[in-house]
Amino acid sequence: MASPVQVDKVLDAKGLLCPLPVVKLFKAIKEMDVGQVIEMQATDPGAKPDMDAWVKNTGHEMVDQADEGDVFIFWIRKTK
Amino acid sequence: MGGWAYQDEDAKRVLYVMTHGITMPERCATPFFLATAAAAMDHEVAIYFTMNGPQLLQKDVIAKIGPKGDRGQPLEYFLEQALDCGVRLLVCQPSLDLNDLSMEDLIDGVEMIGGAAFNSMAIEADAVISF
Repeated sequence: MASPVQVDKVLDAKGLLCPLPVVKLFKAIKEMDVGQVIEMQATDPGAKPDMDAWVKNTGHEMVDQADEGDVFIFWIRKTK
Repeated sequence: MGGWAYQDEDAKRVLYVMTHGITMPERCATPFFLATAAAAMDHEVAIYFTMNGPQLLQKDVIAKIGPKGDRGQPLEYFLEQALDCGVRLLVCQPSLDLNDLSMEDLIDGVEMIGGAAFNSMAIEADAVISF
Protein backbone atom coordinates (compact mmCIF):
# COMPACT_ATOMS: atom_id res chain seq x y z
CA MET A 1 0.00 0.00 0.00
CA ALA A 2 1.49 3.31 -1.08
CA SER A 3 1.40 5.76 1.76
CA PRO A 4 -0.74 8.86 1.11
CA VAL A 5 1.58 11.02 3.20
CA GLN A 6 5.15 11.09 4.38
CA VAL A 7 5.41 8.65 7.27
CA ASP A 8 7.69 9.41 10.20
CA LYS A 9 7.11 6.23 12.18
CA VAL A 10 5.57 2.82 11.55
CA LEU A 11 3.79 0.93 14.30
CA ASP A 12 3.27 -2.76 13.65
CA ALA A 13 0.33 -3.76 15.85
CA LYS A 14 -0.57 -6.78 13.75
CA GLY A 15 -1.65 -9.73 15.86
CA LEU A 16 -2.34 -7.59 18.92
CA LEU A 17 -5.83 -7.49 20.40
CA CYS A 18 -7.74 -4.84 22.32
CA PRO A 19 -6.57 -2.82 24.19
CA LEU A 20 -2.95 -3.31 23.10
CA PRO A 21 -3.14 -1.50 19.72
CA VAL A 22 -4.32 1.74 21.35
CA VAL A 23 -1.85 1.32 24.19
CA LYS A 24 1.03 0.93 21.74
CA LEU A 25 -0.22 3.90 19.74
CA PHE A 26 -0.61 6.01 22.89
CA LYS A 27 3.02 5.30 23.79
CA ALA A 28 4.39 5.66 20.27
CA ILE A 29 2.79 9.03 19.63
CA LYS A 30 4.21 10.42 22.87
CA GLU A 31 7.68 9.96 21.40
CA MET A 32 6.83 11.95 18.26
CA ASP A 33 6.81 15.65 17.38
CA VAL A 34 3.67 17.61 16.58
CA GLY A 35 2.94 17.41 12.85
CA GLN A 36 4.59 14.03 12.38
CA VAL A 37 2.63 11.10 10.95
CA ILE A 38 2.52 7.56 12.26
CA GLU A 39 1.45 4.61 10.15
CA MET A 40 -0.27 1.98 12.23
CA GLN A 41 -0.92 -1.53 10.97
CA ALA A 42 -3.44 -3.67 12.86
CA THR A 43 -5.35 -6.91 12.45
CA ASP A 44 -7.65 -6.58 15.47
CA PRO A 45 -11.16 -6.88 13.97
CA GLY A 46 -12.24 -3.98 16.21
CA ALA A 47 -9.42 -1.71 15.03
CA LYS A 48 -11.49 0.56 12.78
CA PRO A 49 -14.10 1.67 15.32
CA ASP A 50 -11.39 1.79 17.99
CA MET A 51 -9.13 4.06 15.95
CA ASP A 52 -12.02 6.34 14.99
CA ALA A 53 -12.87 6.65 18.68
CA TRP A 54 -9.23 7.15 19.59
CA VAL A 55 -8.67 10.11 17.27
CA LYS A 56 -12.02 11.61 18.24
CA ASN A 57 -11.02 11.50 21.91
CA THR A 58 -7.35 12.42 21.67
CA GLY A 59 -7.74 15.12 19.01
CA HIS A 60 -5.06 13.67 16.74
CA GLU A 61 -5.86 13.67 13.01
CA MET A 62 -6.80 10.59 10.98
CA VAL A 63 -5.13 11.49 7.70
CA ASP A 64 -6.25 8.38 5.86
CA GLN A 65 -6.98 4.70 6.31
CA ALA A 66 -6.86 1.65 4.08
CA ASP A 67 -7.33 -2.11 4.08
CA GLU A 68 -4.73 -4.47 2.72
CA GLY A 69 -6.06 -8.00 2.97
CA ASP A 70 -6.66 -8.63 6.66
CA VAL A 71 -4.54 -5.67 7.70
CA PHE A 72 -6.05 -2.31 8.55
CA ILE A 73 -3.72 0.63 7.99
CA PHE A 74 -4.17 4.03 9.62
CA TRP A 75 -2.17 7.21 9.03
CA ILE A 76 -2.45 9.55 11.99
CA ARG A 77 -0.92 12.99 12.42
CA LYS A 78 0.05 14.15 15.88
CA THR A 79 -1.70 17.46 16.51
CA LYS A 80 -0.61 18.38 20.01
CA MET B 1 -4.35 13.07 47.51
CA GLY B 2 -7.77 11.76 46.43
CA GLY B 3 -9.97 13.38 43.83
CA TRP B 4 -9.25 13.97 40.16
CA ALA B 5 -5.99 15.61 39.21
CA TYR B 6 -7.40 17.77 36.38
CA GLN B 7 -3.95 17.95 34.81
CA ASP B 8 -5.33 18.18 31.27
CA GLU B 9 -8.33 20.42 30.72
CA ASP B 10 -9.27 18.54 27.53
CA ALA B 11 -9.34 15.18 29.29
CA LYS B 12 -12.53 13.46 30.33
CA ARG B 13 -12.73 11.57 33.57
CA VAL B 14 -13.82 7.93 33.75
CA LEU B 15 -14.35 6.14 37.04
CA TYR B 16 -14.60 2.35 37.09
CA VAL B 17 -15.98 0.50 40.10
CA MET B 18 -14.86 -3.08 40.68
CA THR B 19 -16.81 -5.17 43.19
CA HIS B 20 -15.72 -8.73 42.34
CA GLY B 21 -12.79 -10.56 43.89
CA ILE B 22 -10.72 -13.68 43.59
CA THR B 23 -13.65 -16.11 43.59
CA MET B 24 -14.66 -14.82 40.16
CA PRO B 25 -11.35 -14.55 38.30
CA GLU B 26 -13.12 -14.48 34.95
CA ARG B 27 -14.35 -11.01 35.93
CA CYS B 28 -10.93 -9.68 36.89
CA ALA B 29 -9.58 -8.51 33.52
CA THR B 30 -12.22 -6.47 31.69
CA PRO B 31 -12.22 -3.48 34.06
CA PHE B 32 -8.46 -3.25 33.65
CA PHE B 33 -8.72 -3.58 29.87
CA LEU B 34 -11.28 -0.83 29.57
CA ALA B 35 -9.54 1.45 32.04
CA THR B 36 -6.26 0.98 30.18
CA ALA B 37 -7.93 1.82 26.86
CA ALA B 38 -9.51 4.95 28.36
CA ALA B 39 -6.15 6.09 29.73
CA ALA B 40 -4.60 5.47 26.31
CA MET B 41 -7.26 7.83 24.91
CA ASP B 42 -5.74 10.64 27.01
CA HIS B 43 -8.48 10.49 29.65
CA GLU B 44 -8.08 10.61 33.40
CA VAL B 45 -8.99 7.19 34.74
CA ALA B 46 -9.37 5.51 38.11
CA ILE B 47 -10.68 2.16 39.31
CA TYR B 48 -12.31 2.07 42.73
CA PHE B 49 -12.15 -1.37 44.37
CA THR B 50 -14.93 -2.03 46.85
CA MET B 51 -16.84 -5.00 48.29
CA ASN B 52 -14.64 -7.94 47.17
CA GLY B 53 -12.64 -5.85 44.73
CA PRO B 54 -9.64 -5.12 47.02
CA GLN B 55 -8.82 -8.85 46.99
CA LEU B 56 -7.52 -8.37 43.45
CA LEU B 57 -4.82 -5.96 44.60
CA GLN B 58 -3.04 -8.34 46.98
CA LYS B 59 0.68 -8.72 46.35
CA ASP B 60 0.58 -12.49 46.80
CA VAL B 61 -2.47 -12.99 44.57
CA ILE B 62 -1.85 -11.08 41.37
CA ALA B 63 0.54 -13.59 39.83
CA LYS B 64 -1.61 -16.57 40.83
CA ILE B 65 -4.95 -15.81 39.24
CA GLY B 66 -6.07 -14.76 35.78
CA PRO B 67 -9.34 -14.49 33.85
CA LYS B 68 -8.75 -17.81 32.09
CA GLY B 69 -7.33 -19.75 34.99
CA ASP B 70 -4.05 -21.43 34.10
CA ARG B 71 -4.30 -20.32 30.47
CA GLY B 72 -3.43 -16.83 29.30
CA GLN B 73 -2.06 -13.89 31.21
CA PRO B 74 -2.26 -13.47 34.98
CA LEU B 75 -3.98 -10.56 36.66
CA GLU B 76 -0.53 -9.05 37.26
CA TYR B 77 -0.16 -8.44 33.52
CA PHE B 78 -3.42 -6.47 33.27
CA LEU B 79 -2.62 -4.51 36.41
CA GLU B 80 0.82 -3.49 35.20
CA GLN B 81 -0.58 -2.47 31.83
CA ALA B 82 -3.15 -0.24 33.53
CA LEU B 83 -0.63 1.36 35.88
CA ASP B 84 1.79 1.88 33.00
CA CYS B 85 -0.84 3.93 31.15
CA GLY B 86 -1.61 6.04 34.21
CA VAL B 87 -4.71 4.35 35.61
CA ARG B 88 -5.11 5.04 39.34
CA LEU B 89 -6.16 2.31 41.76
CA LEU B 90 -8.32 3.34 44.70
CA VAL B 91 -9.59 1.55 47.81
CA CYS B 92 -11.38 2.57 50.99
CA GLN B 93 -10.75 1.36 54.53
CA PRO B 94 -14.10 -0.40 55.18
CA SER B 95 -13.59 -2.51 52.05
CA LEU B 96 -10.15 -3.50 53.28
CA ASP B 97 -11.63 -4.43 56.68
CA LEU B 98 -14.34 -6.47 54.98
CA ASN B 99 -11.65 -8.58 53.35
CA ASP B 100 -9.32 -8.59 56.39
CA LEU B 101 -6.69 -6.73 54.40
CA SER B 102 -4.40 -3.81 55.14
CA MET B 103 -2.52 -1.49 52.78
CA GLU B 104 0.63 -3.54 53.47
CA ASP B 105 -1.01 -6.53 51.79
CA LEU B 106 -1.59 -4.59 48.58
CA ILE B 107 0.68 -3.82 45.66
CA ASP B 108 2.48 -0.47 45.55
CA GLY B 109 0.65 2.46 44.06
CA VAL B 110 -2.80 1.85 45.51
CA GLU B 111 -4.39 5.00 46.95
CA MET B 112 -6.65 5.15 49.97
CA ILE B 113 -9.74 7.32 49.67
CA GLY B 114 -13.04 7.49 51.57
CA GLY B 115 -16.70 7.47 50.70
CA ALA B 116 -16.90 11.24 50.41
CA ALA B 117 -13.98 11.37 47.98
CA PHE B 118 -15.48 8.51 45.98
CA ASN B 119 -18.82 10.30 45.67
CA SER B 120 -17.12 13.52 44.74
CA MET B 121 -15.15 11.76 42.01
CA ALA B 122 -18.30 10.04 40.75
CA ILE B 123 -20.20 13.33 40.57
CA GLU B 124 -17.35 15.04 38.74
CA ALA B 125 -16.71 12.11 36.38
CA ASP B 126 -17.91 12.10 32.79
CA ALA B 127 -18.69 8.40 33.13
CA VAL B 128 -18.96 5.92 36.00
CA ILE B 129 -18.88 2.26 35.00
CA SER B 130 -19.52 -0.51 37.51
CA PHE B 131 -18.57 -4.15 37.46
